[in-house]
Amino acid sequence: MAARRPAGGLRRANDPPLLILISLAEGPKHGHALAKDIEDFAKVKLGPGALYGAITRLEERRLIEPMDSDDRRRPYRITAAGSAALAGALADLRRITSTGLARLRPQGDLA
Amino acid sequence: MTAPEGRDPALSRLLRWYPRAWRERYGDEFLATVEDVLNGGAPTARLRLSVAWAGLRERGHQVRREADVTTWSLKGPIVAFIFADFPLSLRASPPPAREWLATGALDAELGFAALGGGAILASALLAAPVFGRFLRAGGWPRIRRRVGWAAVATVAAGGALAWTVLASAAETFDRLSGDYALGIVVTGLLLAVAFGLWTRTAISTARHLGLSRRIRAAEKVLVAVGAAALYTVMSAGLCFNAAIQPGVPALLLCIAGIPAFAFCATVNLRRAVRKGRRLWSAPGRA
Repeated sequence: MAARRPAGGLRRANDPPLLILISLAEGPKHGHALAKDIEDFAKVKLGPGALYGAITRLEERRLIEPMDSDDRRRPYRITAAGSAALAGALADLRRITSTGLARLRPQGDLA
Repeated sequence: MTAPEGRDPALSRLLRWYPRAWRERYGDEFLATVEDVLNGGAPTARLRLSVAWAGLRERGHQVRREADVTTWSLKGPIVAFIFADFPLSLRASPPPAREWLATGALDAELGFAALGGGAILASALLAAPVFGRFLRAGGWPRIRRRVGWAAVATVAAGGALAWTVLASAAETFDRLSGDYALGIVVTGLLLAVAFGLWTRTAISTARHLGLSRRIRAAEKVLVAVGAAALYTVMSAGLCFNAAIQPGVPALLLCIAGIPAFAFCATVNLRRAVRKGRRLWSAPGRA
């Protein structure tokens, strides 16, 4: 049986769409600013191809939206649906993380 | 593809891996990001490779999205031919033992075609108020070209279909000529183009409308119901064929075709219901 798809279609902690949503939760950013921020907080280097692939999917699912700009560097912002999807995905990750940590603890106690 | 004025041609060439629609929407800002990443340097082999891979993936994504266009290009002509043949079907005289099958199949064709047409009309009506606002806000130029091409293809396909109806009515099955067979092929191709162009126009227009999640969810399910009904019309057409042409080939076609159409309809409906439910219950604006 197929696993239930996580909230907003976000899958793993290092998934580019998830990282972009986390970055945009702080405020609107354009492509390069997004890549730099993600490298800073997640230590994941996203190339322009991967970055714009994820931006395209997120915009299609209306989790982010472009803002008006006179510059070629168009900023994006997270939508209400994007914030809710991010909250759901992070709650899923927190549950997995806490389960993993709780299961590791007895081994740590033994050592 | 030529580089826009003042833009490095080496960078602009990176865009050739992407589909045209993507280049038009994201090309400029994508190149701006590449320029920022390179900071005045030349694109490295690694960057070229990753961009080429991303562009090809984008093309793959577009092909998957175009699957709807392809399936409607195939379904549409088959159903159109079934109904173009309807006057002749009514005059057909099946063997008495199979008369019930022929009558039932024709009734099913009419009933499911009405159901399918109704579902597709309902999905269009759901979007009608938003479409009206889109037109009043000056949206027509954004869809004019697509609608124009689809209308031209429809006129051509309609003319060809009218010709096949007249030719069928004028001749019996035994006297069908090679010209008639060629006419059927050309008509089928024109119908496929017309259905494909209308499907693409509908998808592209829906993107401009910004429909709410719940309308999109309802539309997904209604269109899938319409498609399932048309698959049933095709199955009924195979049953009718088996009823009026006793023989192994028609029977085999029936045995192979009906499960295949039932499978396509079921998969389509299940996928639409799953996507519709996800959209309906997704967080954010309804």
